[in-house]
Amino acid sequence: MPRLSFAPVNTAPRGDVLVVIFLRGAADVLNMVVPHGEDAYYLLRPALGIPRPDDSHARKEERSLDLDGFFGLHPALQPLLDAWQAEQLAIIHACGAPDESRSHFKAMELMERGVDNERGPASGWIGRHLAALNTGNSSPLRAVGMGARPQRSLSGSVPASALLSIADYHLGADPRALRQMRAALSTVYQDDVLGQDTLSIMDALQKLDPLNYHSPSTPYPDTEFGLALKQTAMLIKADVGLEVSAIDLGGWDTHFAQGSVSGLMPNLMQDLAGGLAAFHADMVDHISQLTVVTMSEFGRRASENGSLGTDHGHGSLMMLLGGSVHGGKVYGKWPGLREGQLVGPGDLAVTTDYRDVLSEILTKRLNNPAVHEVFPDHQPGMLNVLG
Amino acid sequence: MPLSRRDFLKLTALVTASAAISSCALAYRRLAGDLSIVPWTALGANDFRALNRLTFGPRVGERARFIEIGLQAWVEEQLDFGSINDFDCDLQLLPFNTLQMDANELEGISNQLFDGYDRETIPNELRQAALMRQLYSKRQLYEIMVEFWSDHFNIFIDKGNGFYLKTVDDREVIRKHALGSFRDLLWASAHSPAMMIYLDNQANEKSHPNENYARELMELHTLGVDGGYTQQDVMELARCLTGWNVRDHFWLGDFVFKDEMHDPGPKKVLGVPISGAGIQEAEQVIEMLAAHPAAAHFISAKLARRFIADEPPREIIEKAAQIFLNTRGDISSVLRVILLDGLKFAQPKYKRPANFILSSLRILNVETDAAAFNEYLLRMGQLYFNWTTPDGYPDHSAAWQGSLMPRWQFAFDLIRNDIKGTKHNLNALLEVSSTGILQDDVDAVASLLLGAPLEALRRDRLIDAVHAAGAADEEALQIITASLIASPAFQWR
Repeated sequence: MPRLSFAPVNTAPRGDVLVVIFLRGAADVLNMVVPHGEDAYYLLRPALGIPRPDDSHARKEERSLDLDGFFGLHPALQPLLDAWQAEQLAIIHACGAPDESRSHFKAMELMERGVDNERGPASGWIGRHLAALNTGNSSPLRAVGMGARPQRSLSGSVPASALLSIADYHLGADPRALRQMRAALSTVYQDDVLGQDTLSIMDALQKLDPLNYHSPSTPYPDTEFGLALKQTAMLIKADVGLEVSAIDLGGWDTHFAQGSVSGLMPNLMQDLAGGLAAFHADMVDHISQLTVVTMSEFGRRASENGSLGTDHGHGSLMMLLGGSVHGGKVYGKWPGLREGQLVGPGDLAVTTDYRDVLSEILTKRLNNPAVHEVFPDHQPGMLNVLG
Repeated sequence: MPLSRRDFLKLTALVTASAAISSCALAYRRLAGDLSIVPWTALGANDFRALNRLTFGPRVGERARFIEIGLQAWVEEQLDFGSINDFDCDLQLLPFNTLQMDANELEGISNQLFDGYDRETIPNELRQAALMRQLYSKRQLYEIMVEFWSDHFNIFIDKGNGFYLKTVDDREVIRKHALGSFRDLLWASAHSPAMMIYLDNQANEKSHPNENYARELMELHTLGVDGGYTQQDVMELARCLTGWNVRDHFWLGDFVFKDEMHDPGPKKVLGVPISGAGIQEAEQVIEMLAAHPAAAHFISAKLARRFIADEPPREIIEKAAQIFLNTRGDISSVLRVILLDGLKFAQPKYKRPANFILSSLRILNVETDAAAFNEYLLRMGQLYFNWTTPDGYPDHSAAWQGSLMPRWQFAFDLIRNDIKGTKHNLNALLEVSSTGILQDDVDAVASLLLGAPLEALRRDRLIDAVHAAGAADEEALQIITASLIASPAFQWR
C-alpha cells in the first residue's frame, strides 16, 4: 500500500458534480447501442434485432440511428443525438465487471462496492470517494441518493441522504407548531449527524420553491427518473454543495416480451433518453462542471430467448455525458458476437472494466487523490474519454 | 377452533349489526373489544429488544405477559400459534372480501369489461389486511414469519396478473406454510401461479427455455448465490421447468403442467441425471433443493439476520442449519434455535419502515383501520408487495438509514391525529399511570416506546426545549411523544 493513504488529507478543490445513473435489472445494451455492422447480431436476434440504419425493408422510424458506421442508437434513444453531435456524449461498449455469477444481486452489490468479491471493503465506492476527498464542503447535501432509500454505493463515513421529493421535504405545520417540533427534534438528535443534516436540508430546501421551478425548453419526462434529474438540476443551480447525485432507473430485467422497436424496454429507453436530454438542455450553463455516467450490473444474452426477451448475460455498456467528455465516439475494444467471441452461455465479453471509466472520472474530474482506496482490487487503465 | 361464549356473543352482535356497519373497519374494531391497558414498568434492554424481535412492537399487555412467563414459554406459546385465540383479529378482517376468493373470482371482480381491469382494489385490500394482522393479531411471531417469507418469496404485485394472483399466493403459499415445513412452502411456491407469472416461467418452453425462475429458485429461494450451482445448472433446471404454466381460461389462474411445452430430453442438475419424467423432473429437483445443506445454511443465516443481527454469530447459524437438516426443514424447530439460543446475541437492527409504523401504533394502542398508511410506506420505501425485484425488501440496517424525513412526518401526523382512520388516545393510555406531572408522563411514554425512561437530564432538556418554543404542558407532551417516535433510539429495534 503506498504511503499516500496515511498522509494527512489536504483540502482539494471541488471538481465536477457527478451524477451516477444505475440501470437496475441488467439492461440489454445490444439493443441500446446496436452493432448494426455485425451480421451475427441479426442472426442472434431474428425477432428483437433493431434494423440497420439503411434497411429499406424496415420503416424509417424502426431503424437504428447510425453513430459511426458500425454502431447505431435504438430509435427510442433519439433524444440523445443532440448531445452526441455536440460531442458531449460518449459510449463505452462491452464494459462491465469481472463477476460472472449472472446474479443481479451479487453483481449490483459488488459493483456498488467497487470490489471483486465479498472480502473487499463493505462501504460503497462513492462513499469511499467522498471519504478520501476532503473538499472542505460540510454541506448535508454533499451526496444525495434520489429515491426513498440511499443507494448502496453511497454508504460510508460521509452521511448521504435519500431525497424522494424536494416539494414534500417539510413537516407541514403552522409556524408555531413547527418551531416546537424543530426544538424537540434538534434536542433528540443532538448527537446524531444524520438527524442534524436532515434538519439543515429541510431548511435549505424550503428556499428552493420547487413547484415554481422553470423547466428548460426540453421538458423532463413526468416520471420518477425525470423528477430525480430535475431535482438534481435544482440542487446544482441552487449551489447547496451537491457533489454526487445517485439515481436509479429500474425495470431492465427483460426476460419476457421486452419489445424491439416499441414496448417495455423501448419505453424505458425513452425515459432514460428523454430525461438525459432534458437535463443536458437544462444544465447548459453548468455543463463544464458536470459529469454524468450510466451503468448497469451486467448485460444480457446475445441471442434472444423464446419469449421475445433476453436472459442474463455479461458485457454491458456505460455512457458519459458532460462538458469535458470527448464525446461523439464509441470507446472500448469490440469483442464481436460470433461463436468463439462470445463468452459463457453466449454473452458479450467484457473488454473494459467499469472501474477504468469511474477511475478516470474520479482522477480527472473530481480531483480524487487516492483512487486506489476507492477501487482497491483494481489497477485502472485510462481510456482518455475525458479532458 | 371452537368459539368461546364471548366470541359467540360478539359474532351474534356482529350479524345483527352487519347491515349498518358493512364496510366500516373501525366499527369491527369496536366490536372486537378494547385492547386492555395495564400499567407498565421499565424493561431491561435485553427483554425490550427480545420483545421487539418477537412482535411488531410490544403492546402493554404483551409486555406484562412476557415478564410473567419469560422468553422460553413466550416462544413456545407463539410457535403453537393455532392455539392462540385470534378471533378479535379475524373479526376485523371480515370486511376484506377478497382474501378468501380463488383466482377465478378475483379475476371476475376486477374485470371491468369495457374499462379494462381494476388493478388497485385487490392489492390494496391485501396490503391493508397485512397491516391489520400485524397490528391486531395475537399470533405475532406467525405474522413476522409471514412477512419474512413474503420477502423471501417476493412477488411484485403489479406485474401481469400478479395483482390478483398474489392474494392466492399469500393465502395458499405464505400463510399456509409460514410456520410449517420449508419443503412444503417451497413446493407450494413453485406451483404458485403468481410466482410463475412474476418470474416468467409461463414463457419457459422447450427449445426456448427462459431462465428467470430457475435461477432465482436456486439463488434466492434455496441455495444462495454461493451455494454451489453453476450457470449450466440454471439452464438445465430451466429445461426441467418447461411446461410449468398457468391456465389462461377455464379454471383461470390455476397451475397447469403443459406436456406439449415440456422438453423431455436428458438433463443433469447438480450432478444428478434427470429425464423423461414430465412434471416430476422439476419436482425431483425441488426435493433436492429443499433438503440441500446449502439451503439449510442459507435459510438459517437469513432467519438469524432477521431476528438476531446483521452479522449473526456463525455458531447459531450452523446449529440452526443442522436442525434444519435433521428435521427436514421444520421451520418452528429452526426458529427455536435462533430465538432461544440466539436472541442473547441480538444487536441493534434498524427498523424497516413498516416495522417503524407498526411499532408506534401497537405500543401506543392506536386505533386504526390501516387504510391510510400506504402513502407513508411508499415514501419510506416499503409499500407492501411493491418491491420489483425477487430478492424482497432488504433486511440489513444500512439499507434503510439516511431517510429520516418521512419517518418524522409520520410521527407528527400520527400525534396530531392527522392520519385518516387513525386515532391515538394518549390520555386514556396514561390514565393508568399518570400523576399529572409532565416529567412523569414523559417518563411513562419513553418507557413504553424505548423500554425505559430517558435519563433525567435528557428528559428535562427536552421538556425545556419544547417549553422554550412556546408549548403548554398538554401540547408539550404530544410534541415530545412525536419526537420520541422520531428519535434515533426508536428507529432501532
